[in-house]
Amino acid sequence: MPSESDLIKGCIEGDPQMQKLFYDRFSSMMYAVCLRYSDNTEDANDVMQEGFIKVYKSLSKFRAEGSFEGWVRRIFINTSIEHYRKKVKLYNVSEVQENTIEDSELNALDSLATKDILNIINELSPGYKQVFNMHVIEGYSHKEIAEIMGITEGTSKSQLARAKSVLKKIIETRINHAKNNR
Amino acid sequence: MQDFKNKLYNYETPPPGEIWHNIAKELQIAEEAEDEKVVKISTHRKSTLLFYGATAAASVVIIFIGSLFFNKNKHVNPATNIPANTNKILAQKIKDSINLNQRILESIIHNPKEKKEIIAKNQNQKISKKYLTVANPEGQPVKISPKVATLIISADNGFPPKPVWNKKISKWQKIMLSSTVSPTSANLIDLVKLAAKNDNIE
Repeated sequence: MPSESDLIKGCIEGDPQMQKLFYDRFSSMMYAVCLRYSDNTEDANDVMQEGFIKVYKSLSKFRAEGSFEGWVRRIFINTSIEHYRKKVKLYNVSEVQENTIEDSELNALDSLATKDILNIINELSPGYKQVFNMHVIEGYSHKEIAEIMGITEGTSKSQLARAKSVLKKIIETRINHAKNNR
Repeated sequence: MQDFKNKLYNYETPPPGEIWHNIAKELQIAEEAEDEKVVKISTHRKSTLLFYGATAAASVVIIFIGSLFFNKNKHVNPATNIPANTNKILAQKIKDSINLNQRILESIIHNPKEKKEIIAKNQNQKISKKYLTVANPEGQPVKISPKVATLIISADNGFPPKPVWNKKISKWQKIMLSSTVSPTSANLIDLVKLAAKNDNIE
């Protein structure tokens, strides 16, 4: 297996073999990202394709100032957001003070399998899901989210609070459903 | 909470196989478009090369014509066409010229009546002596006729004794001193005018 720098070099030179190896190295990881940010698998497939083309075209701009995987991931997240924004116009919602949901209230997710967690998160509306993924999973600040999504920081915070609130309700419903089935 | 974050962050799932085919196809199209671009660029480069080639050829022609003109001008004024490596030869020529100047001046001073013959005799030499070069009061070289040279030397040195000339020169000097516009001794026309004025006074 060639090294990361060899892969980058090969892809910049347009070597098809290296492009395939590069795809094999990152495709599973990035497809998971696409699935998390998209409404359905069709959108995830579109974002996956668009994201890889962008990565191949932008490889020469990579300055090795951080992790390469992080750089690739960021391109996929940005592509997902762009794709989403093309479909839905995200309006700045009024910054209503939401009931703060502590992260500890989402601890129930820890006991679930990853696919189940994904299913629960996919029940969120696209706007909530984007902000939740970016802030909670990827660790973006509200300022960064606001810049990427073209919304205010306040909107980002409100979206996150609502996302957590909805998640909490979904988890509670599932727990109750499981209890009733016993 | 940390656990589900990590689970999601590190989650991997293989994409459908068709995605790579689509990507490969798109990359190939992009590659072909790039090649087309290169061909277009090379056509553009060809015309650019032609443009620069034509400009270079025109420049060469201009430089050639310019050099011809320059050389022609140099021929008119040989002093500007002296190669740098002939400094020694030039210095020798200047020295010879000065020596010849001196010899002619001395000959004329001793035999003023035969100055035409002396000049004619010296004109056969390699260095033309139609005019003599003397230093003016500012130290700059001035070409004067041998006749004027004898006058100046007589005025400066008083040698050989020429009472008539000395008398005339001292008169000219007085006139020059009293004149608001002083003629210079290096200007032949000034001297001629002065002589004519002096003759009128006499």
